[in-house]
Amino acid sequence: MANVRFENITVGYGGHMVLKDFSLEVQSGQIVCLVGPSGCGKTTLVRALLGLNKPETGTITVGDKVLFDAKKHINVPAEKRNIGIVFQDYAVWPHMTVIENVSYPLKKQRRPKDEIKQRAMHALEQVRMTEYANHLPSQLSGGQQQRVAIARALVTDSDVVVMDEPITNLDAKLREEMLLEIRMIQNRLGATILYITHDQQSALQLCDKMAIMQPDGSLCQFGSDEEIILNPANRFVFEFIGVSNFIPVVSMGGKYALDCGEKLPLPAELNPGNENIAGKELGVRLNDVVFDKQSPLRAKVSSRIFLGSEYNYFLRLGQKEIRVQQDMLAARLYGTPEEGEEIGVTFLNPHYYDPKPPEQAAAVVESGKKKKFSLFGKGA
Amino acid sequence: MPAAKDNERKLNMDGILTVVCFILLLIIVVIPIFMIIYNAFFFEGKFSLDLFTTQMTDSKNLSAMWNTVQIAILTTIIGTIMGVFYAWLLGRSDIPAKGLMRALFNIPYMFPPFLGAMAWDLLLNGRSGYLNKWLRTTFGLSQMPFNINTIWGIVFVEVSYYFPFVFMQVVSALERMDPTLEESARIAGAKQGTVIWKITLPLMKPSISAGALLILTTSLAHFGVPSILGYAQGIYTLPTRIYAVIYNSTGSFEGIRQGAALSVMLVVVVALALILQNKILSSGSYDIIKGKSMRPTLIKLRGAKIPLLILAIFTLVLIVLVPLVMIFLISFIKAYGLPLKFENFTFAQYQKVFNMNGTLDSIKNSLILSISAGIISMFLGTLVAYVVQKIKPKGKEVLEVISVLPYSIPGTVLSIGVILAWSGAIFGISLYNTLWIILIAYIARYLSFSMKTSSAALLQVHSSLEEAARVCGASHTESLSDITLPLIRPAMVSGFFLIFLPAMREVTTSILLYGPKTMTLGVKIYSLRDAGMIPQAAALASVAIVIIIILNTIVTEITKERKGV
Repeated sequence: MANVRFENITVGYGGHMVLKDFSLEVQSGQIVCLVGPSGCGKTTLVRALLGLNKPETGTITVGDKVLFDAKKHINVPAEKRNIGIVFQDYAVWPHMTVIENVSYPLKKQRRPKDEIKQRAMHALEQVRMTEYANHLPSQLSGGQQQRVAIARALVTDSDVVVMDEPITNLDAKLREEMLLEIRMIQNRLGATILYITHDQQSALQLCDKMAIMQPDGSLCQFGSDEEIILNPANRFVFEFIGVSNFIPVVSMGGKYALDCGEKLPLPAELNPGNENIAGKELGVRLNDVVFDKQSPLRAKVSSRIFLGSEYNYFLRLGQKEIRVQQDMLAARLYGTPEEGEEIGVTFLNPHYYDPKPPEQAAAVVESGKKKKFSLFGKGA
Repeated sequence: MPAAKDNERKLNMDGILTVVCFILLLIIVVIPIFMIIYNAFFFEGKFSLDLFTTQMTDSKNLSAMWNTVQIAILTTIIGTIMGVFYAWLLGRSDIPAKGLMRALFNIPYMFPPFLGAMAWDLLLNGRSGYLNKWLRTTFGLSQMPFNINTIWGIVFVEVSYYFPFVFMQVVSALERMDPTLEESARIAGAKQGTVIWKITLPLMKPSISAGALLILTTSLAHFGVPSILGYAQGIYTLPTRIYAVIYNSTGSFEGIRQGAALSVMLVVVVALALILQNKILSSGSYDIIKGKSMRPTLIKLRGAKIPLLILAIFTLVLIVLVPLVMIFLISFIKAYGLPLKFENFTFAQYQKVFNMNGTLDSIKNSLILSISAGIISMFLGTLVAYVVQKIKPKGKEVLEVISVLPYSIPGTVLSIGVILAWSGAIFGISLYNTLWIILIAYIARYLSFSMKTSSAALLQVHSSLEEAARVCGASHTESLSDITLPLIRPAMVSGFFLIFLPAMREVTTSILLYGPKTMTLGVKIYSLRDAGMIPQAAALASVAIVIIIILNTIVTEITKERKGV
């Protein structure tokens, strides 16, 4: 049991800053998901924690143990940090059997043979892989190799386990199962888990807390998943965590209007109060667009798709196309209009953000570049 | 803080490996090459073009250069056409007995071409060839019908040993080719012939040109065949001319300097050929090979099947069987020149050859040299590969180029460089007439083989495997020995055999470096023949062939087993 603290971490590759003054504290015994687009520095941060790269500034502590301190010149080597890791590509050693893979960390701790065997088998039990103990990794499926990697990370009872996108290579069903399993294992062991992903869906399923990172490597929000979904800190978080519609807001005769090719007056109940929103954009999630016969905002259904547990619509609002997701309950409550039908719509929980500045486009290119750097860091 | 110290030590280990790598390559590769250039252009410490210009204007040297180019170009063209034709025939047609024929077509690749030259010289020598004599008496001809001791004769023998370069490249590319590329052309209305000409061949262009390049550079640098077939008629190529110059001067420094100047000429010719070939055949590489294994459709030969099969069998007999049988037959003959009749056969030549001074030593020397060159190059090549692939220091490109350089330099040239460097010029170290000097030359020559195989294997070992070990508590050294080394061990072993086998039958490099006690097997055969002891040479050659066959079988078995794991 230990908390993990990053303070003012700066990491650069060849003059390019990936992380700058990054700070984050992960509470003991929690699953924290580090979420961000590819190339934002998640992996770089974790590699700093593992001791695989050396930050230029800052400190890293686990519990009361200082692993890295730039000022005091402390840099505990990777092999002495006692952190479990599940790599994205599993990194299960192909020339060792499952049991040899799992025993390796204990062997390096020079434990007695009986203990190694017993603990390795126990770790395999936890991931339900005991019957494969003497298989070679090449005889296992991707999901099974995954579990071997997890068992290897858990076998030394590390206080902290890092998982770097461990389920991206699995199929949807197995992904679901593995997420549940990670949750259950964590419940049993109480380890602190730092889980890295760019997929907000699995993050939502798994985490106690989420840390959202922006493409420039800064932390933009850290909180429970509810907080992040309901009160996104900025436009980046709002956009990153789900799909949304954006409609520009303009002022029209002292009031606000939505600019959908033609100007549609903004219904009074959507007005956020004394904040000036002219020139901003209204952002609304797909499932926060609801049908309302009374609403003065009229839209035309251009298509309706039934997806089993929900309906997806494309609506024409003025000249603008907006997307709608409607779950079955909403479908019961508000009806399912036909294609071509005109219907009133309203927005629940709208957010108002500044429009994307033009340099945002440049930032995308930048993040592409960064991706290369972080890949380089991975040694790919 | 002890922890910090630990980390420093790790950084140092990477640093030490890098420095060691640079130093070893400097000694083995850079110094010999530098010595050649220095000696060709500098005399007694002063820059001078005199030596170079006298060598350049010598008509013998110029004709040697012209012969070299002629032979190499003819060999490349004919060898490439033959290689592509048989690759297509065995790769894509429905000709019978494909597997067997493919194995047989690879045999010339195993044997040293100079043994083939020996055999053909025995058969088709312009004055005394067995086959020539038989043809003349049988058909009552006034003169010998064939003469192998010509440019065309040399080209013929070189083609029969070098066409597998193209054959092997193209046949594997043909097999991995995506068949839908051809099928869609057929569906679009192209005839079979058009498909081969317009689709298949252009798609094979990258592998064809890679194979052709290999033939060209090997032939330009080749020593064995032109020296055996050309000397008698005064046909010289640059490599044989270099040997003759040094041999005639009985190893004096002046001779070696002349050799160095000629070496520079040879290197220039090789470089020009590479540039020219790049210009002619420059083409983008296509991504025609899909990961999915799909079996391309075989083309029915119909009426042409039997004639083409006969042609293929005839070729095999001509290039594989005839030379081998000839060597074995001559090794049993009582005296050279006697008709090949059973009553003239004896085992005495074997006895003679093994009673002779130095025969067993030459086998022993070759074994020692090829095993140690194999082992040392295996480790050194892996070291270079590790530094280049994993440590990635500044200047890793330089490292890579240096380690591959000696292979594109003709063996003769490399030998001269080694002689110039290690006959006392540096710190007074003289290794001349010892096995060490041959060993250094072998290591330089074959280093790139093991470097390439280890490099490819290391690329497969994702760095997260080593990092996972580090995080699991292994030190840097432990992660190397527990994870990386076991994973690349099979590649290292095959790198060893890639060096061991050609080193075992090597002539070109060692013929300039051997001393009275350091003859290699190849050199011994060569000098027996040179001294006119042809049946004994054939006997020793037969022994060499048997050794090569046994070693090859062992290697194939070992690599098969490893693949099974």
